[in-house]
Amino acid sequence: MVKGLDDKIFNVAVYAILVFCALLAIFPILYVVSVSITPFGEVLRNGGFILIPRDVTFSAYKTLLTQSNLPQAFKITVLITVVGTAINLILTGLMAYPLSRKNLPGRRLVLLMIVFTLIFSGGLIPTYLIVKSVGLIDSVWAMILPNAIWSFNVLIMKSFFEGLPEELFESARLDGAKEFRILFQIVAPLSIPVIMTIGLFYLVGHWNEFFQAIFYVTDRTLFPLQVIVREILMQSQQPLENADNITPTQTMQMASVMIASLPVLIVYPFIQKYFTKGMLLGSIKG
Amino acid sequence: MALTALRKYWPFYVMLLPGVLFYLVFRYFPMYGMIIAFKDFSLMDGILRSPWANPWYKHFETFYQSPYFGELLRNTLLISLYKLVWGTIPPILLALLLNECRIRWLRAIVQTLTYMPHFLSWVIIFGILIALFSQNGGIVNRWIVEAGGSSYPFLTSTHTFRSVLVGSEVWQNLGWGAIIYLAAMAGIDPTLYEAAKVDGAGRLRMIWHITIPGIRSVIILLFILKLGHLLDAGFDQIYILYNIQVYPVADILDTWVYRTGLQQLNFSLASAVGLFKSLIGMALVLLANNVAKRWGEGIW
Amino acid sequence: MSSNSMKRTSAILTSFALLAAVVSGCGNGGDSEASSSPSSSPSASPAASPSASTDSASPSASGASGKKIKLEVIEVGNNLPTPDQDIIKKELDQALNVDFNLTVYGSGDDYKNQLNVRMASGNFPDLFALDRQQLLEFSKQGLLLDLTPYMDRLGQVKDFIGEENVKKGAVDGKIYAISKSSQIPYNTYFIRKDWLASLNLEVPKTIEDLKAVAAAFTNDDPDKNGKKDTFGLTGAELNGAFAPVFGAFGVGSPGSVYEKDGKIVNALYDPDMKAALAFIKDMIATGSVDPELLANTALQHQEKAFKGQAGIVWIDWPNMTKENMIEQIKAVNPNAEWIPIEPPAGPAGKFDGSWEIGNTPGRYAIPKALEKDPEKLQRVFDLLNYVSDPKGGSLLVQFGVEGTHYTKDGDKVVMTDKASEVGYSWLYQFTGRPEMSYLQTKFVPQAEFIKFANNQPRIQTLNGFVDMPEGYVASDADRYIKEELAKFAYGQRDLGEYDKFLKTLETTMQYKLFMDAAQEQLAALGYGSK
Repeated sequence: MVKGLDDKIFNVAVYAILVFCALLAIFPILYVVSVSITPFGEVLRNGGFILIPRDVTFSAYKTLLTQSNLPQAFKITVLITVVGTAINLILTGLMAYPLSRKNLPGRRLVLLMIVFTLIFSGGLIPTYLIVKSVGLIDSVWAMILPNAIWSFNVLIMKSFFEGLPEELFESARLDGAKEFRILFQIVAPLSIPVIMTIGLFYLVGHWNEFFQAIFYVTDRTLFPLQVIVREILMQSQQPLENADNITPTQTMQMASVMIASLPVLIVYPFIQKYFTKGMLLGSIKG
Repeated sequence: MALTALRKYWPFYVMLLPGVLFYLVFRYFPMYGMIIAFKDFSLMDGILRSPWANPWYKHFETFYQSPYFGELLRNTLLISLYKLVWGTIPPILLALLLNECRIRWLRAIVQTLTYMPHFLSWVIIFGILIALFSQNGGIVNRWIVEAGGSSYPFLTSTHTFRSVLVGSEVWQNLGWGAIIYLAAMAGIDPTLYEAAKVDGAGRLRMIWHITIPGIRSVIILLFILKLGHLLDAGFDQIYILYNIQVYPVADILDTWVYRTGLQQLNFSLASAVGLFKSLIGMALVLLANNVAKRWGEGIW
Repeated sequence: MSSNSMKRTSAILTSFALLAAVVSGCGNGGDSEASSSPSSSPSASPAASPSASTDSASPSASGASGKKIKLEVIEVGNNLPTPDQDIIKKELDQALNVDFNLTVYGSGDDYKNQLNVRMASGNFPDLFALDRQQLLEFSKQGLLLDLTPYMDRLGQVKDFIGEENVKKGAVDGKIYAISKSSQIPYNTYFIRKDWLASLNLEVPKTIEDLKAVAAAFTNDDPDKNGKKDTFGLTGAELNGAFAPVFGAFGVGSPGSVYEKDGKIVNALYDPDMKAALAFIKDMIATGSVDPELLANTALQHQEKAFKGQAGIVWIDWPNMTKENMIEQIKAVNPNAEWIPIEPPAGPAGKFDGSWEIGNTPGRYAIPKALEKDPEKLQRVFDLLNYVSDPKGGSLLVQFGVEGTHYTKDGDKVVMTDKASEVGYSWLYQFTGRPEMSYLQTKFVPQAEFIKFANNQPRIQTLNGFVDMPEGYVASDADRYIKEELAKFAYGQRDLGEYDKFLKTLETTMQYKLFMDAAQEQLAALGYGSK
């Protein structure tokens, strides 16, 4: 009985803290949404802070969505996100699996090589030169290939693979299963949570991509979404001394952020179910 | 020996091949750019043909001799350490709580909401911070005044600015940072919990003896990697949030390099500071990895 | 994409054959990025088309008859539509027989990085914006085309921007960049007229009045809401809010260099600086100045003014008087009315802050590599001449297409209601515009504000003519100056220590190097020698 009560108190405490965290996150988000649908004059009248919009307008969204750049940029972003994430996951998996075999000769060297690049980099100019010399400048591939593998994600995935029970591989090898088959048919299905997690990291990385775009691409029709959003946001930071320039209002800024992040926000709840406890149980024991 | 290894392990090497090629082309080939730190870099002559700096440590010296050197290093380390601590523990706690949450929909909602701030850029967060903490008209200050206190300059005071930096970063990354731990918890064998329950273990004890050991390797891995970036205290954030009044507590290596190196086209200086940061980061990673190895958790 | 360029290439090759037959002489092919391959055939020598220089107003001289050439231009900007929606691009393509590819970057830093890597990799744009520091570095490293021998082929440009601006693109007597025509000052103090009325106050005429009005705005509840939630003055940091106050003491903005009594003076060493700071300190001490003044790094001061928190702000007329701004002001408070005022007078008279005459609103350079492709180079010249032709291309990049975006009433240009379609046309104003007439045409409701701001007296500063000396770390010195002045202004450091501050500045921060360089360089230009 006492134990049941303890359990209840524990649950209540957990829920209370979780709700608190949610509130902490929701207020500013609510603020962003509200400002994005309120006329800017109204925002100012409320001292710049609005949580519940009264005078709703979607004019900022309309203005942004009818801008000629946006639909095209959206297409590019979807393209580099889908193609990029697929390439990322395959390459990362192919690296992480061998590196998780602790007795592989040369493993230490490759791992050190990977960690080294996390900390040292040659800098912008030589990287630009190599991207240029492999002929990627001004193509969508310039936004995909130079970041085809993130060292961080390789290490994470490798660490998860290391946690898989060794007997699994032994029995598979006894079956005469080839390593590629082990990776794709045994390891991968058992590692759905980490694949989803790392897939999410890559996906969000591509979705937020602007850095490579502004360096390697000059063709306006190839710019991804975030370049356009950045243009809108940066204007408010460095107002040009130009009478023609119209600095976007806060309403416009918030609307641009909403448009640019809504798709990735929607993706997350669908991925969450793969983080549920005990994913591995059935596959190993069964 | 090498031949037998090759015969035995060749499928693994085939798997590694594309990745290693990627690293060689896009990561290692450009590494020669690091020598810019020891040269008087000229765009026309390029990296290899630019003349060597005289003396070779000239750009390191410029950096070291800046009247602000000590302050920059101190700020960088302090801000970074605060962020290391506060950026590691709350996400783990959140992940533990989410893992303990028995109400599915609550878990889903909290998880989604806390994930959202990650997608707000610092420009937007700056706007939010002003709306909340500005001395004139910020919500928090309005409350303080209404409660009879006097308004406080949270954003321009050297006493509170670092807290603003750390707090806003923790807030932004709370839910995002928890994701990886949640994934790690999903990999824990549920039979362990069942066995513990049979033994009469309480929830807290199960967390301590099963869940935390289950995510230990991820925690250590992330911690080691973060140490490698100890001298990156968060340029984007600070650059947008700081102002002249808080420079003494907020100016970091990267903001200084930005003002001094990039704006004045001094690539060699920027490169020298970058190299300095990397060397320290690498040393820390090597050290941490060796310590972690004793617990059987090293990266390599 | 690729089939498109194939077609273009074949079209180019055909027209190229024609051109080759007409034009004699041969040069060497450049390393052009364009879809054409000049190295495979003889290209035109620059001397072959001398007619283009004098009569450059009609680009047909060299352009229309030749092949279509791809021109790439990069700069900082925003709101550029996609190429298929870009009317200005289409007009330029047609007029100059080019395929124009303009790329703009929303952030100045992004742009700077992009330009630097492209310069380092030899992947040069054909025309690009750059700042003074880049102009110095790039020209020193031999990356820029020396335009001096070509100036007679840029006749239209020269006439348009004026001799004085031509000089601003020079390094060591050689012209490496084309500067835009001069800008005019926009900033003045704006004040809440309705607040003055509600407190029965006059427009401040002197700095003492300013101090009194600011105090009244803070303490006497000008918005009559019963709360003490307003303050007097705001602006962008110290220099912004107090520019006219410095001016009233005859002092330029801190760090600026100017002529005073026939001598070159640095504002920090100006004997009247201490008095100016003392006044500012007193004014801040009354509590009537925005407490977060120093954090107004972007447009926060404007927002505070709009929100009804501040009653006086030093700001530019576009941010205060354009229709969308008025709309916002009225949304907060329909009775709010902002008017620009003359700078308040002080011991040295009245000056509405400083106005930099050595600077230019922008400059563009051509890469040295382009001299190997004379035909393309000529097309860039054509472009520059074309957008500088007051009767032709300049009208296009100022106002859009005649009949669609503007109509002509005699010599007078009148914008139509479609003008907003080409609101981005300023991105194409590579040589600037006749500022006053341009603004008067485009911003009719603001015409009076524009003239008012332009008519205020200002201290003419010369920093734009001074290049940073070797070994001087400007950013450290700038930070130190800003920090210490803030301390003086906020009473955290006693003004009695001002000379000590200068001493540290000169030694630890090596400000002496800058002072000497300024003296020397300005003397060479003939300043300070009366």
